[in-house]
Amino acid sequence: MTRGQKALRYGVLLGFFLLLAGPLLWQLSLSLKGAGDDLYAQPPQLVPSDPTLGNYSDVLDRVPVLRYVANSGLVALMVVGGNVIGATLAGYALARMKFRFRGLVTGLFVVALLVPIESIIIAQFLLVRSSGLADTLLGVALPTCVAALNVLLMRNAFQAIPPELEEAARVDGAGVWRRFWYICAPQVRGVMTVVAIFSFVGAWNDFLWPLIVLSSEENYTLTLGLNRLRGTFFSDPRLIAAGTIIALAPIIAVFALLQRYFFRGLQAGGIKG
Amino acid sequence: MSGKRVLLALPAVLALSLSACGVAGGSSDDSDAQSTVSGEVKGEISFQTWNLKGGYEEYFNGLVKDFEEANPGTTVKWIDQPAEGYQDKLSADAAAGALPDVVDVGPEAAFTLASAGMLLDLSKTDAEAEANYLPKAWEANHFPSLGGTYAYPWYLNTGPSFFNTAVLEKCGVTGELPTSYDALFTAGMTMAEKCKSDASMVGRLPAIENFGSYGVPLMDEAGTTFTFNDAKGVELVNHYKELFAAGGLTEATLNELQTGEVDAFKAGQVGWLPGSSYTLKDLKETAPKIAETTEISPQITNDQPNMYIESLAVSAKSENTATAVAFAKFATDRENQLAFSQQAAIFPSAAGALEDEYFTKDDGTDETALRLESAKAVSEAIVYWPAAFSSKSVDYLREQIALAVLGKKDVQEALDESVEYANGNLPQ
Repeated sequence: MTRGQKALRYGVLLGFFLLLAGPLLWQLSLSLKGAGDDLYAQPPQLVPSDPTLGNYSDVLDRVPVLRYVANSGLVALMVVGGNVIGATLAGYALARMKFRFRGLVTGLFVVALLVPIESIIIAQFLLVRSSGLADTLLGVALPTCVAALNVLLMRNAFQAIPPELEEAARVDGAGVWRRFWYICAPQVRGVMTVVAIFSFVGAWNDFLWPLIVLSSEENYTLTLGLNRLRGTFFSDPRLIAAGTIIALAPIIAVFALLQRYFFRGLQAGGIKG
Repeated sequence: MSGKRVLLALPAVLALSLSACGVAGGSSDDSDAQSTVSGEVKGEISFQTWNLKGGYEEYFNGLVKDFEEANPGTTVKWIDQPAEGYQDKLSADAAAGALPDVVDVGPEAAFTLASAGMLLDLSKTDAEAEANYLPKAWEANHFPSLGGTYAYPWYLNTGPSFFNTAVLEKCGVTGELPTSYDALFTAGMTMAEKCKSDASMVGRLPAIENFGSYGVPLMDEAGTTFTFNDAKGVELVNHYKELFAAGGLTEATLNELQTGEVDAFKAGQVGWLPGSSYTLKDLKETAPKIAETTEISPQITNDQPNMYIESLAVSAKSENTATAVAFAKFATDRENQLAFSQQAAIFPSAAGALEDEYFTKDDGTDETALRLESAKAVSEAIVYWPAAFSSKSVDYLREQIALAVLGKKDVQEALDESVEYANGNLPQ
């Protein structure tokens, strides 16, 4: 590789880094800017001239962040657990078990993907309410506990495992549960991680559904709680940025914890020769 | 200009499903919802505000306490909803029959809920109350197509024009600041010649309330058909088209919302910002340099100034209407509105409240000058935005005007289609 090619390659990488991480860096810088900073200065300033952590303590003062983090965490836990367990089991069944109407059931999952949430949200709310789950975190988590998309992802992952592998186990006398647990599940760990991360991010960032289900403030999830930072008549962009960074931290933490599996899942597809 | 009003986003789908669900939810008494309020002022009610907890807790806790003391045996449960998604929340609650007894609503929410038979018709239950409020504020909640008045007026907002004089001077606009649309467009053309796309006068396409203050009739008497596609409406859009052709309106402007307009003003790219009573504070806190060169002048209008309104409505499904009505009237009476307007930069709708010293006595500061100026405007202002003009229609109109300004569509045709779309969105 010539030096020119190398420079070009790094240039492209740098460009993409700026494109993807730029807005995040801007929020971070905004959240650290003090009263002395002109937020709309031209050209834009990335390094705060009057840096402060005051915006973060303001956020903590105005909003009981810890309580909301705990609520969001609980919802995320239910959703991630539900999806990893439920979607894996359902995906295995759809991919490997033979039963009547299997094609029809798979079709139903695909159709479920096509229904926009906005069009059924009120009916869904009436359902949750009549089950007595209005204003509870379980009511927030339940509708997304086993998402159709994740079931299909898991189904495809199981289908990619060569049937010979399972047949060999069957010959050795392994039942369905054993084959699922010892042969197939370990092969799809990567996709399970993907499901875990997607459902975590989805549950963590959801706004409209928790807004509709929850009515008392002590049950608010973080997205609802941080919306309080929007002033009544006008808002301080610094506070909102600080709130954004606070909300983002757990997502980054979860990704950091799972990234080992995440990338393995993407690269290897879980199968070796 | 009301940031809050603009925050109301998507809910047309929900509005539709609301009317459907409202019927399915067993509201068989829709047509003749309560026409009298009886019973004692006693028991518990819920009172819901929209994004007023951050900063005004003390006021609302005091308000609730005062009411409970004045009416022994009552309890008021105050709920506050976050800024975003308010209309969706209202729709879902209404569909579930769980609308709070007293709710904070803008005209659009009031109209949607009233069309579904969810709100008390005050023209039947409490017609005399009209005398307690500014006539134009009361009128804003009167919906001719539904034949009633559905909320007690609460707080109002309006604002003067903010001009960035540094930008104006740089681009050759000197002398008196524009106060009419004609003067504004003339100045805009001057700026376009001098500065091209570095800076422009106008930062946003006209919205429905601009049509109103330009002098375009928006709706017919019966409130069943929109009429802003007349010659006057075409004239207004043509002004923007000419401005765009001359370079006095950037392409980015064409899809700009109110928040984008404010940001452009704070960045010094736009000369004129139709502001509100809290814009000055906002500028001083987030863009101090711009605030230094900003000058305030009366709102641009060819007719009366424009204002925005929030009201308190009483749920028709309330089990304690007597208490709910008593509380709604208590919260919107002269004294309590005055107290609220002294805490928040808003204006009272109660009759006579604007004559208070707070709105008439100058003490020499910028803030007070702005308040007095705005209060004067409020006393003669009109809520131009028809409640029946949904936020979906707002988006549609903006898109159509953008097409017309770009020259991709005939101006008349664009407005005709917008009118047709808005008519199609009216409840049948």
